[in-house]
Amino acid sequence: MTLRRVAVTGLGVVAPLGNSVEEFWGNLIAGRSGVRRLPSSIAQGLRSPIGASVQFDGKDYFEPPRLRMLDRVSQLALVAARQAIEDSRLNFDAERRERCGVFVGTGLGGAETTEEGYHTLYAQQSNRIKPYSVLNAMANAPAAWIGIDYGLNGPMLTYSTACSSSAVALGEAARRIQYGDADVMLAGGVEAPLVVGVLHAWDAMRTLATEDPDEPSNSCRPFSATRTGLVLAEGAAFVVLEDWGHALARGAIIHAELAGYGLTSDVAHITRPTIEGQAKAMQSALLAANLAPEAVDYVNAHGTATLQNDAVETAAIKVVFGERAYAIPVSSTKSMHGHLLGAAGALEFVITALSLMRGIVPPTMHLDAPDRACDLDYVSGHARTARLQVAMSNSFAFGGTNAVLVLKAIQNC
Amino acid sequence: MNTLDTLADILTRDYCVAREQITPEATLETLGLDSLSVLELMFKIEDRYKVKITDDTPTDLVTVSDVVRYIDSLLARNSATQRPRSSEAPIDT
Repeated sequence: MTLRRVAVTGLGVVAPLGNSVEEFWGNLIAGRSGVRRLPSSIAQGLRSPIGASVQFDGKDYFEPPRLRMLDRVSQLALVAARQAIEDSRLNFDAERRERCGVFVGTGLGGAETTEEGYHTLYAQQSNRIKPYSVLNAMANAPAAWIGIDYGLNGPMLTYSTACSSSAVALGEAARRIQYGDADVMLAGGVEAPLVVGVLHAWDAMRTLATEDPDEPSNSCRPFSATRTGLVLAEGAAFVVLEDWGHALARGAIIHAELAGYGLTSDVAHITRPTIEGQAKAMQSALLAANLAPEAVDYVNAHGTATLQNDAVETAAIKVVFGERAYAIPVSSTKSMHGHLLGAAGALEFVITALSLMRGIVPPTMHLDAPDRACDLDYVSGHARTARLQVAMSNSFAFGGTNAVLVLKAIQNC
Repeated sequence: MNTLDTLADILTRDYCVAREQITPEATLETLGLDSLSVLELMFKIEDRYKVKITDDTPTDLVTVSDVVRYIDSLLARNSATQRPRSSEAPIDT
């Protein structure tokens, strides 16, 4: 069976650093950071009172009756999905709707609604739980609302594999197109974790970055010997994936090709990553793309800035690429936009696609002290122009689901 | 302000319903309120009238006038339950 090719025809971003692809990209390649000290209303009592939030008020996008049915997680998802659809210039009225679907990755779903319900019950000692609470909080609400808004009658699924959730959503959506089950898939990720309960839960894990005493925005330092952990972030990123022939037939602008998807599981420990698991996910994605490791020009790393991840990921990259690992630019954009958890994979896929489209490698910021365990070319401090043909985006996760996506530039397709 | 005006006030402010759409005959569905919105509306009525709805909200509220009648019955019941207390007061003292 010949697998169909998957075209990327639409991009949408609502994230720290920008509520559109252009605004986000401009800030990203300028090396700006969206990490800030969080307002005391949510950060009080936290060991690590920092995060990367989105300048976003749902009231600017939705009328009150609609808004009360949408947790922030669905609001962010709907706005990013709309951008991707507009970018693709798809008209669903001209499509066979049962051939169009939506896959979303999210870690927590409607955390704000869950929190509000508990606040009502335990803090206010009231039983006046909002009637929409279940529908707002359920993890599949963002996918459902997107499907409803655009009348997508094809497959609709939500994936939850912690920090690789949306890389999985994109990879699985690409599979549906490759195997001919769907022609158009909206795929993306969303997370809205910046609420008191979630922040405290992460804080208790001691895996969050210590606030930089001089400049909070410099707190996330992937691959640096001074790294202290990840910075929580919120946001959404969506892409339109489309059968290659379908995209050509309607005269769509193809941004890139989603050429390969690799999926492995560490099954070693609930948090500790393995070199083997990560390396095999990268190799599996290259195999699926029918590409040799020599073809890869850029790796957008998972690069969380935790002690464990960055050392293990560096070692895994060396397993896959051998000596050539030292010649490949590898960057962690989480140094600027923070860790969007379930949305991270989709956001970083969009970044990787833009890198291929524009020939620019975004930097790793705040890498101020080399670490012996992290000795690759991390594109420290400044973006770089480069002719890129093939790029890889890594997403790893608590729980151990490793997902890797391989993209090809359009001139290479 | 009569009950209809108060209800219209809530519906225009919190549910973005145009005032001219709110007539006694208008169905809640045509005003954009589904069954869960009606349940939520009861919280707002509790706040506005300082009453506590202890029974289950009837599920047969179809039109605006149904809701008006329901609010009026709540208010009547509420004042009825308060009256004995006020009449008992002199006996207690």
